Amino acid sequence: MAKLYVETTPPPDLNKNTEWFMYPGVWTTYILILFFMWLLVLSVFGCTAGIAWTTVNLVHFAITYQFFHWRKGTPFAEDQGIYNNLTWWEQIDNGKQLTRNRKFLTVVPVVLYLIASHTTDYQQPMLFLNTLAVIILVVAKFPNMHKVRIFGINAGR
Amino acid sequence: MVRLPYLTALTTLFSYGLLFAFGQMRDFFRKILDLWKSKNLQGYAPICLGLEDFYTRRLYLRIQDCFNRPIASAPDAWIDVVERYSKDSNKTLHRTSKINKCLNLGSYNYLGFAAADEYCTPRVIESLKQYSPSTCSARVDGGTTKLHAELEEVVARFVRKPAAILFGMGYATNSAIIPALIGKGGLIISDSLNHNSIVNGARGSGATVRVFQHNSAAHLEEVLREQIAEGQPRTHRPWKKIIVIIEGIYSMEGELCKLPEIIAVCKKYKAYTYLDEAHSIGAIGKSGRGVCELLGVDTADMDIMMGTFTKSFGSCGGYIAASKEIIQHLKNTCPAHFYATSMSPPAAQQVISAIKVVLGEDGSNRGAQKLAQIRDNSNFFRSELHKMGFEVLGDKDSPVMPIMLYNPAKIPAFSRECLRRNLAVVTVAFPATPLLLARARICISASHTREDMIKALEVISKVGDLVGIKYFPVEPQKHLTDKIQKKLE
Repeated sequence: MAKLYVETTPPPDLNKNTEWFMYPGVWTTYILILFFMWLLVLSVFGCTAGIAWTTVNLVHFAITYQFFHWRKGTPFAEDQGIYNNLTWWEQIDNGKQLTRNRKFLTVVPVVLYLIASHTTDYQQPMLFLNTLAVIILVVAKFPNMHKVRIFGINAGR
Repeated sequence: MVRLPYLTALTTLFSYGLLFAFGQMRDFFRKILDLWKSKNLQGYAPICLGLEDFYTRRLYLRIQDCFNRPIASAPDAWIDVVERYSKDSNKTLHRTSKINKCLNLGSYNYLGFAAADEYCTPRVIESLKQYSPSTCSARVDGGTTKLHAELEEVVARFVRKPAAILFGMGYATNSAIIPALIGKGGLIISDSLNHNSIVNGARGSGATVRVFQHNSAAHLEEVLREQIAEGQPRTHRPWKKIIVIIEGIYSMEGELCKLPEIIAVCKKYKAYTYLDEAHSIGAIGKSGRGVCELLGVDTADMDIMMGTFTKSFGSCGGYIAASKEIIQHLKNTCPAHFYATSMSPPAAQQVISAIKVVLGEDGSNRGAQKLAQIRDNSNFFRSELHKMGFEVLGDKDSPVMPIMLYNPAKIPAFSRECLRRNLAVVTVAFPATPLLLARARICISASHTREDMIKALEVISKVGDLVGIKYFPVEPQKHLTDKIQKKLE
């Protein structure tokens, strides 16, 4: 296989928690991880393709909600708590809204929802759960929701 | 501009994701297990939130044996490394009394002054007997000896500035001087890859900090124009002053800064310049005077030049060289001058003697020999590494050469395999470098002989094959020359 080379310059992002997302290959890795998780679920549980996609969608919802929209701050003590009130989603691209990375991350749950609902033939319990997952994820990524804490949930510490 | 194969980028991201996932799982189980243990905090808040030291606990501690290795000799071309073992998979390490003599490719020993030197060491021992190891006082109280005054003059003459001021620690020089130079209402524009000491000093000063893309004079101009037009945040008043901070050699990349272009931009917009020559003073330039001499920039154009004595002069401490007025102002305001203990007198004598050797004032031409040696050594080593197919960063003539590793698993593999073959290298990973770009940083010294370097190249080549970091295989040209020879025959 011919080796494809990419060139990178270190991005001028001071926040070490988010600068890893600006490198080439991140989007592809994300999509490949989702695809391989689907294969894993299929091989471990031996279920139908639709149930596997629903599982992937729900697990993806749980993981991305926890790490992008719930956990605040950075895993580095040297940042001295500057970002302690911001979730990862609010930190990327230095808080600028509607950048390419943000648009990509908003599209992925929607595409997962379409695949999951199509392969389960829009049957009931799965459809409800999938729709709930995609609505929560997409609403959390709206630019108007920047630094908004509904009912004070997750506002402390 | 770093090149990497696309597959390597994907696998590196995936590896970090896997390490992160395992760390999160272990934290999760630790939280559950700790619910059962009784907490004896008695109402006090916990010292650190679980999230803050996640990186240290779950990623750094796994490969802790590759960092912080204790040494048992002077950091010359060959160095004694103390062996360590661990019984709980690297959470705690214990020293043994066994010593490994290794080729030293990790110390900043650019001119070879780290070990005993025939001119410097007798004078240092003499000054140790006369002035004792410490002045036990701050500069302002009783800590200014004749040596300090002489060293300030010598440094100012060496760097070609009117005056200089000394500090006992290089890191503290940056983090204590920047707050003394600029405060709230000022603007600091620093290169995106500046050292942590500069970042800390900038944060501590209270000024607004903006970052420009590494070594890009065009981006610096864009940032300057935008910031000057906007003024201070919220009030939009003009900035009190603007300082642009850059480094001579960037220690993680080994590349020189594009000094002439950046100085031209700063002069156009009347911003002050601060050059941190920690790695370049004494190591590059025809007579060792640093990056200004190498790139032909007049030192009168740089407002403040900072440097350290740790790298090329085999001592410890830092200096600032600038105009007489700035140095007088710093002597009156800088807290590191008032309250920090002054530089140790034998260390000051070491620098004075080292600078005399470099300038040739000790009566021999060892200084010029050392400078030529380090230049030849660096160019030879770098070109050989390129020929072997490694991705090596850094400009020509720079004694720092990082070999790219990328994958997180290759960091401990390279480090441990090299140590097994008696080669001591320094590997650097996130967060000192960007996430994808982990590297092994080689520092060449004037005291490395040709045999040392050839041996090091053999070991690195073998380990490189084992670990799989020869990303750019050069087409074998031996077949071509064989064919030509056969044709001639």
